Amino acid sequence: MISVAGLGKTFQSKSETVHAIRDVSFEVAAGEIVTLLGPSGCGKTTTLRCVAGLEKPTAGSIFINDRPVVDSKHDVFVPPHKRNLGMVFQSYAIWPHMNVLENVAYALEGRGMSKADMRAEAMRALDTVQMAHLSDRPAPRLSGGQQQRVAIARALVGRPQALLFDEPLSNLDAKLRMEMRKELRRLQLQIGLTSIYVTHDQSEALAISDWIILMKDGQIVERGRPVDIYCRPKKVFTAQFLGATNLFPGTLVALDGQRARVQGPHGDLIGVLSDPELRIGAPVQVSVRPEAIRMASSLGGTGQADANQIAGRLELAVFAGNAVEADVRVGEAKVLCLLDHDADLKADRDVVLTFAAEDTLVLANE
Amino acid sequence: MSVAEAPGRAEPREAAASRLSRKIDWRVFAFVTLLLVLLYQVAIPFLMIVWTSLKTVRPGEPDFITLTFSLSNYVRAFSSSSFWTAAWNTLLFAGASTVVSFVLGAFIAWVVERTNTPLARFIGTMMVARIIVPGILITVSWILLASPNIGILNLVARDLFGVRNFFNIYSFGGMVWVHSIEMVPLTYLLLSASFQSMDPRLEEASTMVGANNWRTFRRIAMPLAMPAIGAALLLLFVTTIETFEVPLLMGGRARFRVFTTEIFQTTSRTPVDWGLSSTYSVALLALSILLLVIYFRLLRHGESYQTITGKDFRPRRIDLGRWRYFTCALSLLLVFIITGVPLLVMIYASLLPNWQAPGIETFKSMTFANYDSLFSTPAVLMPMLNSTLVGIGTATIVVLIVAMISYFVHKTQFRGRRMLDYLAFAPIAIPSVILGATFLWFYLILPVPIIGTLTIIGLAYLTKYMPFALRFVSNSMMQIHRELDEAAQVAGVPWHRNFFKVMLPLLKPGLLAAWFWVMVHAYRELTVALMLARSQNRTAAVLILDYWEQGSFLKLSAFGVIMFLALLVIVVLSNMLGKRYGVREQY
Ligand SMILES: Nc1ncnc2c1ncn2[C@@H]1O[C@H](COP(=O)(O)OP(=O)(O)OP(=O)(O)O)[C@@H](O)[C@H]1O
Ligand SMILES: [Mg+2]
Repeated sequence: MISVAGLGKTFQSKSETVHAIRDVSFEVAAGEIVTLLGPSGCGKTTTLRCVAGLEKPTAGSIFINDRPVVDSKHDVFVPPHKRNLGMVFQSYAIWPHMNVLENVAYALEGRGMSKADMRAEAMRALDTVQMAHLSDRPAPRLSGGQQQRVAIARALVGRPQALLFDEPLSNLDAKLRMEMRKELRRLQLQIGLTSIYVTHDQSEALAISDWIILMKDGQIVERGRPVDIYCRPKKVFTAQFLGATNLFPGTLVALDGQRARVQGPHGDLIGVLSDPELRIGAPVQVSVRPEAIRMASSLGGTGQADANQIAGRLELAVFAGNAVEADVRVGEAKVLCLLDHDADLKADRDVVLTFAAEDTLVLANE
Repeated sequence: MSVAEAPGRAEPREAAASRLSRKIDWRVFAFVTLLLVLLYQVAIPFLMIVWTSLKTVRPGEPDFITLTFSLSNYVRAFSSSSFWTAAWNTLLFAGASTVVSFVLGAFIAWVVERTNTPLARFIGTMMVARIIVPGILITVSWILLASPNIGILNLVARDLFGVRNFFNIYSFGGMVWVHSIEMVPLTYLLLSASFQSMDPRLEEASTMVGANNWRTFRRIAMPLAMPAIGAALLLLFVTTIETFEVPLLMGGRARFRVFTTEIFQTTSRTPVDWGLSSTYSVALLALSILLLVIYFRLLRHGESYQTITGKDFRPRRIDLGRWRYFTCALSLLLVFIITGVPLLVMIYASLLPNWQAPGIETFKSMTFANYDSLFSTPAVLMPMLNSTLVGIGTATIVVLIVAMISYFVHKTQFRGRRMLDYLAFAPIAIPSVILGATFLWFYLILPVPIIGTLTIIGLAYLTKYMPFALRFVSNSMMQIHRELDEAAQVAGVPWHRNFFKVMLPLLKPGLLAAWFWVMVHAYRELTVALMLARSQNRTAAVLILDYWEQGSFLKLSAFGVIMFLALLVIVVLSNMLGKRYGVREQY
């Protein structure tokens, strides 16, 4: 549906040359929502704006429904107003000199529709986002959440081929953000619109997407379904960016199918090999999510043959509502654990950390 | 709490209370003084004009201060055709100048702020730098350039093509041209600020819903810019109806009289026609008040558009492609005409032994004789010194007063603090000719012998420049959190200490910008200084006018160059001083 290949964009200014994105390629299937995720400045907005046509890429091509909208080799460039896409800006960009209805109806101008039809269509779009009752309100008097809804209605009303979202929730407060996140997902499933969604918030990305594309320094690091990319990341960066994780360095010493044995300063650890390219002797990182770790007060039988055990010292444990967060010092490193909330909070004692091999990932060292 | 402890505890509290009361006294004292000073300064011009226009005797006569009024001056003015000619001319001149300077200024502001034209920064800086060239020099230089018979352009045209008097600057078109050229930097400043604050996302959003560039411009960009554009147009219009230099120097030969020249003529010829002059003034004042009311309406309307601003604000510059070299060349040409031409003409003329068109012979004959003769005339020194004193003195006092005003308005809860704001801002409606005339009349009545001194000029300038300085300072005052002041109050720091040690240093950028602005404008001001000029308090701009009337253009040019250089030195020196004390100015 949307296909991006080899996209690159360089910003040239007097003092420097910024390679905002380099060799970005991905596909968005019809009806799916694909999220571009990454830290600030990694080039998400630039990628999205290239798809929108607001930015002219310096390399690569973009096809929408098999029609080339950008092809830098053949000098094809379709201007944004001819691409028939809907876009929701981070600042919403609601026109302050129009009221709610006018903001939405403006999107239908120039299509030869009658005023009455435009009005009716706009009201229908406002209805979808539950804003019909405020259609007469002047735009400057809307709350953040209301502006956001108007921006979505405006993007939807022209029946675009695809919707583009640039951090649409980042201007809202935490609670509203959670609500709108679900509502956006519901709306997207209901209308079935192909969408590209940009965010730097990993939990938002996990909740809303069919696919996640993780970016860093202008390049794609990894892509996958939310569950896969969270539970079985292939890169250390992915493991770190999507939620907290503990990393132990080491060397790959043995392989048994998917199981890998890693030797390091923390003793031998067994885990799942995430990258089939890895060979014995390669430097690796072992990643364990905090919630996968159990804590006991002494070494002992775990009942599982391939469970990992590390001895350490509990430095601090704090109650965090749904869990107990514990900092455990293991040699030089500090390990973060999320324990059941009935765990013993007494600090300054020797403990043993246990985690199953299937919860342990062996990642290539970067 | 034990009984024994209580007295020991009560003592510091009492001390704090007495400290508190002392501090509040100081603030009240300062507030009341400020209010009285403002009332005095601002009431004079308004009261004097209306009062005089209702009187048949002149200020200074015993009957002037009695309560007998008559409307005969109005009858006389309204029934004379010259009143209506002046009114019509004023509007015509203002309308035409507004349009021309708006088109030029808007073009440059657009090029600098919204396109990828090369050298945009330089073009912008040169525009702003123009404000240190005195207005009268600009007028004179264009006259030297394009007046019939002696204008350089006419001489060149005669020598090259044999046409005589191709240009005539003494015409309506010439007046509009010179005044517009002078106002372009102001237009640029007014518009570039609003071009910068326009959110490019609003236009992009329109593109995304399928609108082409033309529709986006017509339905989104234009309506959004309308309040700012309207406000700029009004301000240019008001500035033109109050302007004096161009109508004074060119209006006579062009037979084109406007209100300001009429007011000047009726007050400067003997016998002075006070009644008529003040009636003209009332008309002019009423017009500018009306326009300014609309202006502030528009500004407020514009602010309501700016309540929505985004986080991902990133200015968008239009890629002009190859056209950017064209826009660059055109803007540089305009900058040259606006900033370069007056200076070059002045320098050229100042080096001539006698007036002639440029040529190889001319360049060979150039000398510094004009400068020599200037430096050997002691009478020249005095006006220079006067301008410097008035510039620096006015700027310093205005900035201090304005800092206090904006402190009371924005950081305290005094009842009547808004009054300070309005009073300090009201003089923006008073044209300079009227300001000068009313101060003169007022001190003719009042038995305070300051007529003919720098003090009277300084007092008039105080009224004239307060509104502008207040804008600069209020903006930075609003950015200082009220808690900073409150913290000092709670800590028991006396108010005046806090004001000088905390507030003023925090305000430095705004204060410095205001100081520069007032200093430069007071230094080069002509109109007020001319109305109040006697032999001892003539300023540099007044001396230039004298030279003009004597016909000594070459000396005038040499003096103009020196005046410009002196101002440049003051600006650079005070800039260095400011930097030295840790101030990085904003403008
Ligand atoms: N117009 C521009 N000129 C120069 N550099 C730019 C421009 N636009 C973006 N960049 C640079 O390109 C890089 C990517 O920017 P981009 O806006 O795409 O980041 P982002 O991933 O959207 O970040 P954020 O999460 O902060 O919005 C950044 O380093 C940015 O500074
Ligand atoms: Mg972004």
